[in-house]
Amino acid sequence: MAIDKITTPAVTDDSVTLAKMAPGTDGNIISYDASGNPVAIATGNDGQVLTSTGAGSPPAFETLPVGGITEADLWRINSSFQGDASPVASNWERADEGTFGKIGTGMSQSSGVFTFPSTGVWLVRFIRNVYVNNGDDRACKAEIYASTNASSYIKVSSSWGFVQATSSSFTHNSMLASAFIDVTNATNFRVKFYVAGVNSDTATYGDSDANFTWVEFIRLGDT
Amino acid sequence: MNIETGRPDHIEDYLVQLHTGQWFGWSDAKNKVYANLIIHDDSKTKPSESDCTSGLKTLQDNFDTAKTNDVTKKASGKQKLKDLGLDDDEIKALTGA
Repeated sequence: MAIDKITTPAVTDDSVTLAKMAPGTDGNIISYDASGNPVAIATGNDGQVLTSTGAGSPPAFETLPVGGITEADLWRINSSFQGDASPVASNWERADEGTFGKIGTGMSQSSGVFTFPSTGVWLVRFIRNVYVNNGDDRACKAEIYASTNASSYIKVSSSWGFVQATSSSFTHNSMLASAFIDVTNATNFRVKFYVAGVNSDTATYGDSDANFTWVEFIRLGDT
Repeated sequence: MNIETGRPDHIEDYLVQLHTGQWFGWSDAKNKVYANLIIHDDSKTKPSESDCTSGLKTLQDNFDTAKTNDVTKKASGKQKLKDLGLDDDEIKALTGA
């Protein structure tokens, strides 16, 4: 006679072996649903991890958020020029040598105004190389201006250097301006870059094969 | 210009010192020849190709002359100090050379 019902007290502790359990799907994990009933957790895909989905639902295999840097870009000016530029509006190009690589979508640029592809906290660096051969310049500047509304800008970083002319040759110096920009609105946040000095003969070095005056954008994390 | 020596070696060196600001650029920055020269600033006139080449030549001549003068002046200055009775060590202490 087949036994059609076994009550819990009839099952002694540690007596149910794996072999006595009903077959399941390879890789599934047993959990409980919101009603407290056993439920099989679907296997998921290679690389996924088991995560809590919160109270009231069983856990699930899920893909971890992408870690590390998700956006990194670099632009430079491809021609030299003399004197000030407020902003540096022309001759921008994204680095394009064979060893260059950007991460993510990258920045958009129009007339020297840069727009971010996504929100987040961004590291913005502006490196300016200068040279003179006619008089000193005690205040070569590289500056970053940022806007939160796409119209009015404030100075967020200013780096100054001194370059001294020597007889019969060019002399050089470089400035580095840097800022963290918390981009809470990718549409309205903008940055642009100024160069200035007290000697109008001071030249900003640009080149299309290597970085001489350039800007870097790295998304560090979420806003 | 030659980044190491500073000697002008391209028409861009002439263009840079012709006007201030970003008044010019290149339609193909990988090929900076006169035919690819573009003017961003409408208030500026595009110089002729011969202006560019002769302007570069002038810059190079000025650079070379300045270099030569530099060497000559150092030598003549050092000799004058010697004529005043200073020895090489004293001259070096004064001038660094």
